[in-house]
Amino acid sequence: VRTTMEARPVQRSGSRELSNLTRTSSIPSTPNPSSAAAAEVAFMRSENNNNNTQFMSKPLGGQNYHLLASSNGGAVGHICSSSSSGFSTNLHYSSMEKHYASSSSNAAAAAALRDDSSWCSDSLHGGFLDFPENHHQASQIEDGGGIGAAFDDIQKRNDWHEWADHLITDEDPLLSTNWNDLLLETSSQSDSKDQKTLQVQPQPQIVQQQQPSPSVSVELRPVSTTSSNSNNGNGKARMRWTPELHEAFVEAVNSLGGSERATPKGVLKKMKVEGLTIYHVKSHLQKYRTARYRPEPSETGSSEKKLTPLEHITSLDLKGGMGITEALRLQMEVQKQLHEQLEIQRNLQLRIEEQGKYLQMMFEKQNSGLSKGTASTSDSPSKSEQEDKKISDSKDHLTPEETGKCKEPESPQPKRHKTDN
Amino acid sequence: MKFGKRIKEQIQESLPEWRDKFLRYKELKNLISSPDPAEFIFIGLLNSEIEKFNAFFVEQEEDFIIHHKVLQYRIQRLVEKYGDNDDETFREEIGEIRKDIVNFHGEMVLLVSYSNINYTGLAKILKKYDRRSGGALRSPFVQKVLHQPFFKTDLVSRLVREWETTIDAVFPASNAEAERGYERSAAVSSAAAGEGIFRNTVAALVTMREMRRGSSTYSALSLPPVNLYDLDLVLQPIHIPSPILS
Repeated sequence: VRTTMEARPVQRSGSRELSNLTRTSSIPSTPNPSSAAAAEVAFMRSENNNNNTQFMSKPLGGQNYHLLASSNGGAVGHICSSSSSGFSTNLHYSSMEKHYASSSSNAAAAAALRDDSSWCSDSLHGGFLDFPENHHQASQIEDGGGIGAAFDDIQKRNDWHEWADHLITDEDPLLSTNWNDLLLETSSQSDSKDQKTLQVQPQPQIVQQQQPSPSVSVELRPVSTTSSNSNNGNGKARMRWTPELHEAFVEAVNSLGGSERATPKGVLKKMKVEGLTIYHVKSHLQKYRTARYRPEPSETGSSEKKLTPLEHITSLDLKGGMGITEALRLQMEVQKQLHEQLEIQRNLQLRIEEQGKYLQMMFEKQNSGLSKGTASTSDSPSKSEQEDKKISDSKDHLTPEETGKCKEPESPQPKRHKTDN
Repeated sequence: MKFGKRIKEQIQESLPEWRDKFLRYKELKNLISSPDPAEFIFIGLLNSEIEKFNAFFVEQEEDFIIHHKVLQYRIQRLVEKYGDNDDETFREEIGEIRKDIVNFHGEMVLLVSYSNINYTGLAKILKKYDRRSGGALRSPFVQKVLHQPFFKTDLVSRLVREWETTIDAVFPASNAEAERGYERSAAVSSAAAGEGIFRNTVAALVTMREMRRGSSTYSALSLPPVNLYDLDLVLQPIHIPSPILS
């Protein structure tokens, strides 16, 4: 609970505070090799700490949606089905990058359908398309996209068969052929043939050995900052950056003469980060250059609203005509509130799902023990109702008090929630 | 029905580039209401939506990481330049940075909000689907969603909290001093950006409160109401225009 915002004096002590704050991270003007060593490139986020992964594709039948294979030659599936919960591998195949931009992303949709690495789990190993009854149909969808356009179709007509035909239309010959081959093959084929949309051509920059370079230690540990990679087969992949990785990037850039003089290739070489491609560096460098020379808070939003000076004053009236500082303070306060509430909500949602998952397991265990040969477990409506009921029973532990607090202590007096009927 | 309206309004209030990146809740609902919604089609659509979220989220996050460094650097340079002097130009630049920090903080919070509202929409639409089809698709599917990049907002939240700490060091001693016009000129230029973010933030808070007020299908899987007492106090001095509060 915040009462009043206490203003802190920005005087001598203030500026000292500032200095201390900024000293915690590496600063471009003072290149510090040791901080680069701390750059953790969590390319692979795996619960079982699978450190020995390489960026090679390994066609393994219909489950070949992953760039990673463990160096010991283990099946891709080994990485996916981690012990606790299905952590998605960071590298997963998605569509071409350009499709991300458009809202009706045919290839993205099609790829997403087939992309089981996002849904990599121990239970549904073959991906969501692996439902027994739908499996056959699923393979047909793999050809080309049409999902984006399908959204408009949904509103216009209800003829689903016709709509499904659109999905099957061979709009993108490159993708469709390869996906088909991939899905239908049951034994590994040679990489070079027609798998190019899916596999990463082992790039010269990618270090094949596991030993990290001396300048940058690649720490592959399951931390909150992760990197995820998706590859459309052309070597273009999506990266998830971290502050540490970015720091390594900045140092590399500075050592090469600054953002204007440094080249993507040079930076890539300098960084020596396993799995980082020149495309990653190139796009990141571009962003970096833009940010440095146009340091506006909202790179995206500010350019959209070009108000005249008069309108500026008017818009500030929204905050009751208060001064700039007060308006800023208010804005900050509201933002803080939203963030706090979001974190609370997220934690609640996580707990609800956790309990649901646990109960589902227990329920299934119970059922499999009780009913041998009967069809009671497949009675779906009652199953989801049961799930709800069991969750509500255990949800007594989630009390209303938790909603109002940042932390979530287990309340000693659980209150009953309204149960679902 | 309520969520559909809420997310639509949230989208309207959001930054323009974000608007087509949200969950297409209405379309998915229509799909479910149709005579014979095939499961694989439904799943396919969900997967493609999730890909959209992931791509957008990760890209925004990358921008934030870069900007995070840039801001830190600016502050440090400012401190180095002025040392312990407390003169006019220093205050002016501090004012400018302060505004930038607040807006940056705001944008990051909005990304977390984006993540959450899409997750919530997914969970809801899956619940509807199960009710319609009698299946049990929701639970396993949601488990997968929890591991998606767009849902993992830890890094952004961490940066948000870092700046909350930092800005306490950047705010001035008293209002009187601050209003002496130093900041007016500096702030006006980026007032527009702050305005959009502010409206968006308020809208998101209102959405959250409304969504959790209690639903017609309240069940064990529903979230309890939001405790926003502080917010009401905070928002009192503001005259919120009706479009946001509707």
